[in-house]
Formats: sequence, C-alpha cells, structure tokens
Amino acid sequence: MRTFLSTTAMAVLVMAYSAAPAKAAEESPFRCEPGEKYVMNVMVSGVEYWFPVYEMFKQAGKQLGCETAYTGTPEYDVNKQIASFDQALAQNPAGILVHPMNSDPFIEPINRAIGQGTAVVTFAADSPLSKRISFITSDNIREGTYAADAIATKLGGKGEYAVLENPGQDNHDKRVTAFIDRMKAKWPDMKLVGRTASNQDPTKAYQGLMSIVQANPNLAAVFMPEANSAIGAAQANKESGGKILVMCADVNANILDMIKAGEVFGSINPNQGMQGYMGFMLLWLAKHPELIDPMNDAKRAGFNPMSIPFVDNGLSIVTAENADDFFWDKYLKRRGTKGIEE
Amino acid sequence: MLAETMGTKAVRAPSWKRLGSMREAGLVAIILALCIAMSFASPHFLTLGNFRAMLMSFSVEGIVVVGMTILLIVGGIDLAVGSVVCFAMVLSGSLFLAGLDPWSASLIGILASALIGAVMGFFVTVVGLNHFITSLAGMVIVRGLCLIITKGTPLSLFTLPPAFKAVGQGSFHGLPYVIIIFVAVVVLFDFLLRRATALRKVFYTGSNEKAALYSGIRTNYVKFWVTVLCSTLAGFAGVIYMSRFGAATPTFGVGMELNIIAAAVIGGASLNGGSGTILGAILGIALLSVVTSSLVLLNVSVYWQDMIKGCILLGAVSIDHFLHKRKAS
Repeated sequence: MRTFLSTTAMAVLVMAYSAAPAKAAEESPFRCEPGEKYVMNVMVSGVEYWFPVYEMFKQAGKQLGCETAYTGTPEYDVNKQIASFDQALAQNPAGILVHPMNSDPFIEPINRAIGQGTAVVTFAADSPLSKRISFITSDNIREGTYAADAIATKLGGKGEYAVLENPGQDNHDKRVTAFIDRMKAKWPDMKLVGRTASNQDPTKAYQGLMSIVQANPNLAAVFMPEANSAIGAAQANKESGGKILVMCADVNANILDMIKAGEVFGSINPNQGMQGYMGFMLLWLAKHPELIDPMNDAKRAGFNPMSIPFVDNGLSIVTAENADDFFWDKYLKRRGTKGIEE
Repeated sequence: MLAETMGTKAVRAPSWKRLGSMREAGLVAIILALCIAMSFASPHFLTLGNFRAMLMSFSVEGIVVVGMTILLIVGGIDLAVGSVVCFAMVLSGSLFLAGLDPWSASLIGILASALIGAVMGFFVTVVGLNHFITSLAGMVIVRGLCLIITKGTPLSLFTLPPAFKAVGQGSFHGLPYVIIIFVAVVVLFDFLLRRATALRKVFYTGSNEKAALYSGIRTNYVKFWVTVLCSTLAGFAGVIYMSRFGAATPTFGVGMELNIIAAAVIGGASLNGGSGTILGAILGIALLSVVTSSLVLLNVSVYWQDMIKGCILLGAVSIDHFLHKRKAS
C-alpha cells in the first residue's frame, strides 16, 4: 500500500511538473493563434538583400508559433509590387512587413490593409503619409558618416576622394550626402574631386571611375552607396594602379571575396537580421495591442497603443577581418535552414 | 538608299570624296567636334589613358551592338540582349563553381545563349510573332532564369584561373585583349556585312521582305539565323564580362538593351529594317561613351548628367540626320 501511495504520489508529481511548462507556455501571451500569419513583401524579390531580413522575420515568427511567408514581385515595378501586396492582403494576414518601392503609391494599399485589420510595418523604405504602424530601417546618415570616417582615418585625414552615385534612390542619396557632409565637417583635408552616376551598374562604375582617375591621378578613395558598382570600381582601380580605397555599402559573396582579397577596402552593411526580427515583433505587437496599456489616451480615443514610429536596426562595418561572417551560404549552412524557401 | 547603305557604287569617285559620302562621315565629324571641344574644356580628355578607358568601357558592349545592328537591319529587334548577357555570365559562372573548367563552362554559356536565340527565332519565323514581343517575353524569361540559377545571389568567381581572367583583364604588349577581341568582331562582321553574300541577304530581307522572298531568298531562314547570331554575340559578351569582372550577378545588364539599340540607331540603323552599318553602330556607342566621359571630366552634377547626355545625343542624331538628308537630296 505504501509502495502504491508513494508511486502514485511520484506519478502525480512528475505529471504536474511536466505539465507546468506546457501550462506556462499556454498561458504565455506571446503566442500566435492557429493560422495567424505574417507576410513579408518586397520588390525585386530575387535579390539577396532581402534574404537575411526574412530569415530573422521567419525565426521570430517560429518562436511565437506564427506562420510566415515571403512574397513580392521579381520586378522593379511599383504596380507589380502593389499587386503582390494586394494578393497577400487578400489572404487576410495578421500583418505585413513591406518594403514600399515608392512611398506615395503605397498609401492607399497600406491604409486599406490597416482598415481591414492587418498590421503594416515598413522596412528599409517608408510610406510616411500612410497609416503604417512603424518604420524600421538603417540609419543611412550614420552609414555614410561611418564610411567617411573609415576612409579618412585610413588615409590619415588627407587625400582626394570621389563618389559613384545612384541618384533618385532615397536611401542611396542619403548615404552619399551624409558621406560628403561628414568629410566636409570632420575631415577638411579630404577633397571631393569627382562625382558620377553609376546607377548600380558595374560597367558604368568602371567607366565613371576611369574618367575620374584620368582627371585626378592622385585619387585616394571612392565611395558608392551600394555593392554592384564596387565590382566595376575595383576593376578600374586595378587597371589604374590599385592605389584607390574602394568602399561601398551592402555586401554579397562577390564583394566579400573582394574585401578579403583587398580589392575592396570595406563595406557598410545594414543589420538585415534585426530589420526582420524587430520588424516581426513590431507587427506582432501592433496586432496584439491588448498586451500593452501605456499612459496615454489610446484606450479612450480608440487608436492602436502600439505606436513606435521609427526603429534603427543598426549596421556593421565589414572589413577583411570579419568578412567571413557575412556570407549568406555559410550563414544558412550554420543555421541549417532553407532561407526564403520555407 | 539601299545601294548606298550597302556600299554599292556605280562610278568610282576619288577616295576622299568616297569617305565623305559614307553614311558614317557625319557621325565621325560630330565625334571629332566633340573631342576637339572637350580637349579645350578638359586637359585630361585628350590623353592616351582616357581614350583607353573609353574604349575599354564600350568594347564588350560593342560586341552586342554588332549583333543588334544586324538584327535591326533584317527588321528585327532584341530586347533580351541584356538578360542574355547576364544569363551567359551566371550559367557559365555556376558551371564553373560546380567544377567545370571555365573554358568549357563558357562554351556552354555561349551555346545556351544561341539556343535562346533559336527559341526566339522559332517563335518569330514559325509561330509568326514579331521580334519585339518575342524578345520582350524572352527578356523576362531569361532574367527569371538568371535568378533561378543564382537564387538571387551574385556568384563570386574569385577562383577563376588567371589564364581565363586574362581574357578580360590582361593585355598583349599593352593592348587589352578585350579591345583586340572587340576590334576582331567588328572587322569580321563589318566585312561580312559588306561583302559576304549570306549577310547581304540581311539587307534585302530587311528592306523589302516580300521582294526578297520573290527573288528566292529564304527570308525566314535569314531572320532565324540573325536572331541566333544576336543572342550568341550577347552570350559571348557575357562570358567576357565574367572574365573581366570575376563575378556573375543576376541583375547584370538590366537596361543594357536600350543603350545597345540607341547606339545602333544613332549609327544609322533603321528601326524599320533595311539599313545600317557595323561601323556606324560602333561610332554610335563611341559617341555615347565620349559624352559620358566628358560629363564626368567636366564635373557636371549627377542630377544633370542624364538630361545633358540625352540632349547632346538628340542634337547629334538630328545633325547627322540633316547632313544625311542633304547628301541624299
């Protein structure tokens, strides 16, 4: 009898103990309802930049027991992106993390989504006049500033530099402006001697830099606000003596190899992972405003108390020392996931 | 008109007069005028280094221009050339990364590009679609293939053997191989287009397809093979770009077709078919390059560069058109 009682007591204890975490998990407010789905939507969906964003978006979703999906248009076309946004919206997702290709064309679709109860957060590009909940992005000003400091420090604060630009793309323009402003403000002996539009095209970057070098044989550095131009710039640098520091923003496998080989000095890379992870959390909180009760008039006035207008996702300076940590394929291998295909 | 474009002459005029009467003479004059003006405006323009840089910048694209010009002469157009250049790069690059030697990988890349041309040629000549819509679809499909092959990620081809990289980056006694290849392609096709019977059929087909058909030319056959040729040359250019940049990015060549078509048209090729020369098209792309280089050397604001470039090109083409019209009358 004593054995029976002690065995029964043990069994009850074990069951109670093992059930406790499950119960705690059930009671955790940070869980999705079955079928609760969050979507990421982009333009030029085949481009590598988005993949690490989605990787962490997906991870945050999994941790909260939510479904996630990667959507968008493979083309650089705002109409097609809006169509893909609408298709995603038609499935009544809980939230959409969107990179609006142009700000104003997205006002109506985003407001329509908010109107039907789908939370919307913008990332990397904004639609500020829409009713989106939050905007998460890199601080482009800080990216340009850091790039200027890195180059000027390397050159001892003195030398000639040029920029290859992509006029018309807001975040790229901001990086370039910040880069030049920082040089003017902090490094007065750094002289801007050439600017040209390479428009993310390696062949244009090659010709542009070659022409600048002809006029400025003492050119010491060149900055461009994206990665593709660095391929052409590095080749032009090689052909003109290899003395120019080539610095860009964003990375891909090719740029990383060039950084490791010393053909590209470095790159400023936005923290895409945090963009995705925090982007998801912002969406999730926006969809679950009952969790928060801030000291304001949200309850009485009936607006969403989850209101964080802007989040900076941070950045990394990629050099030959840390380049290995930024390869997408190595990252996927380390994590054992399938990237955007899951 | 046709006889003049094809270089046919009834009476042999003095050589200087013949040179002056060539379709390309106006364009040469415009480029020379621009070069002279630039040599006063910037001391860095008229240098060997700058001319080498300009020549290098359009040499590979110039190979694509050759194919496009012949296709325009036959009355076609290929909007897929930018995508095909990229396709040859990424296919060859991925085959190399899979373990194939770069030469074989490049050959497969070029053959696959020719196959794309053959498929487009099939739709034009057998199904009966026009070149514009077929190549528009081709442009989208082939760009999609590039994304499928690369999974959106630029391929790093840093491990390409030096012998292969030398094609794009090396030189022979100071003359870059890229320029040698470009000149060889231009001279070969310019000669063939002026002298070879097979390519002269391109003019007949392009200027009056029905008449050409009645005179025994298999026009569909001509159009098919010219479409294949255009894609093959685009693929060839893609492989050279791969060697040159040691990379293969899935977005490479976006919008390239516009530059290529513009160069050919500036050089005298008609969008209606039947006229055009390789030399003219090369002068067209050279003009584009001179203008781009000039704007950089003059430190023109990036916000103004495109507009000024467009205006200069419009002006140059108008002057050329006026000179040509006067000569014809």
